[in-house]
Amino acid sequence: MLTLLRDLRKLRRNLDLARPERASSLAIRHVDAGSCNGCEHELTQLSSPYYDLQRFGLGFVASPRHADVLLVTGPVTSRMLEPLRVAYDAMPEPRRVAALGDCALGCNVLGTAEDIVGPLDTILPVDLRIPGCPPTPEAIAQALLELIDTR
Amino acid sequence: MSSVSYRGQIAAALESGWRFAGLHATSDGASVRTLLADATGATRLETALAQAGQVPSIVDLAPAAGWDEREAHDLYDVGFAGHEPLRPLVDHDLRLDHWTVPVLGRDPYQVAVGPIHAGIIESGHFRLHVVGERILHLDARLFYKHRGLERAAEGHTLDEALAYATRACAACAVANGVAYAHACEDALGLTPDAELARVRTILLELERLWSHLNDLAAVCSGVGLAAGNTHFAGLTERARRLNAKLTGHRFLFGTIHVGRSDITLHRDDVRLAADEVAALRAEARRGWRELQFNRSFQDRLPDIGVVDAAAAARLGATGPAARAAGLADDLRTSSPRLDYAGFAAVTPERAVGDVQARVEQRTLELEQTFAVLARLLEGRIGPAVASPGGEERAIGIGRVESPRGATSCIVERRGDRIERLRLRTGSYANWPVVAYAAVDNLLPDFPLINKSFELCYACADR
Repeated sequence: MLTLLRDLRKLRRNLDLARPERASSLAIRHVDAGSCNGCEHELTQLSSPYYDLQRFGLGFVASPRHADVLLVTGPVTSRMLEPLRVAYDAMPEPRRVAALGDCALGCNVLGTAEDIVGPLDTILPVDLRIPGCPPTPEAIAQALLELIDTR
Repeated sequence: MSSVSYRGQIAAALESGWRFAGLHATSDGASVRTLLADATGATRLETALAQAGQVPSIVDLAPAAGWDEREAHDLYDVGFAGHEPLRPLVDHDLRLDHWTVPVLGRDPYQVAVGPIHAGIIESGHFRLHVVGERILHLDARLFYKHRGLERAAEGHTLDEALAYATRACAACAVANGVAYAHACEDALGLTPDAELARVRTILLELERLWSHLNDLAAVCSGVGLAAGNTHFAGLTERARRLNAKLTGHRFLFGTIHVGRSDITLHRDDVRLAADEVAALRAEARRGWRELQFNRSFQDRLPDIGVVDAAAAARLGATGPAARAAGLADDLRTSSPRLDYAGFAAVTPERAVGDVQARVEQRTLELEQTFAVLARLLEGRIGPAVASPGGEERAIGIGRVESPRGATSCIVERRGDRIERLRLRTGSYANWPVVAYAAVDNLLPDFPLINKSFELCYACADR
């Protein structure tokens, strides 16, 4: 255990990530509306020592009631439409919606017309678009940090 | 084939060592095909013609066919005589009593989880029937992410339809892609040359590498061990960066093609990749050693989520989940289209099929992956092809050992066009096993049990 913590400290020192210039925060509620799991795997990496987005006050929260941003992945399947709307309706205002990945943006979506009801901007007002298949953790981090700045 | 002989053929095959490997309805719903496989890697299809929209169910012979039959009913409107009750699976019937098992009595209550989970997790719904803290039964309702990929692939050319298989799931993009490519090449009578077999094997093992490292990180987070989680999450990141360096994509998208490979790498780049793989091996071992001696971590793992060998075989468990129960099945031992010379399946010493065994299984398989990569990452990698010579067929079959178990792909074609695409992934096979593993355990252990399988939802939902 101590070895792992020592390793982590060394890794942190070597990576020398930039420190935030000022205190800020952004609470994010992620909703998978039919993705291939690529966006989710990259989102998970944002908490790893290589990106450590928590240092900017960015955190993923369990309830939409605690969220500033609804971060949606996937082309929006017919079966996720209702849960997505419920999550959005549960958020306090002001609320933002971010479309993460090409599927959420309606690019190169595969599937049948019956099973897919997206893209996201036909369902919810989209404030932030993050393209990529999937977007790299750097791209996601940069877009979310810009959202803090324009809040 | 008449319906009586369909059941008879399958019963006889199962009796003589063949195993159920998948079932699907044809595109018009007029017939149903069951895929059987034996230990040498041989496959056969048994077809039943529907009579008045019905075929006989085989779920009593092969319980692993349960989901397949329910899916064929929901999507292709085929009835299965003898499958009672035939609950909806892909069809999201809103009436609770239609898709859950009735659990009656004064004390049981239900805990509903999802489809939106508390963290960064794919969407799916778990309905846990509980007494006190003990789980009596779990109904998993997935397919929230169903995109109709198989249906949408119909009518496309074999080359175009590759995308529908690979983009079903990012975590299994290579495994699904290779299974699809093998199915097409089987149908077209093409055999991969040695270099194509080598390149695809490297890609499959690079995928398994990041995936297994990620699974270990997930289990650490499941018990709240942040130090272990960050160690393995960091290694997962390095493995993905290696993928990007070698192929231009962190999840190896775009690397698989039907009948060829376009990847070229200079020998120096291959050597650098081999060095990074060796470094990851040392770091993974180091992390695992720390976890082995961490009492608070280890105490959480044994004797929960048990799936013993008999249950694993009956339910059709596959991959690490089956091997952790002592079933030494691994498609890599019988993959003539890939380069797994001398590969032998590995099982843990304490192969009791609990969470601990499944976690240990990942570390044993990581060692195998490191060894395969060390052997194959030598010398330049050049363009490669599959060459003609075999017999052409209307139906092609490809089977690949994905990080989560055996993935079968069936391609039914008319000329160069897809008539029916069926992708049955390791995750699809294992989801019913997760529901079984949860029974009799405490509710707070369910997330850990679930993480010890670490299945994809996208792969199952398609």
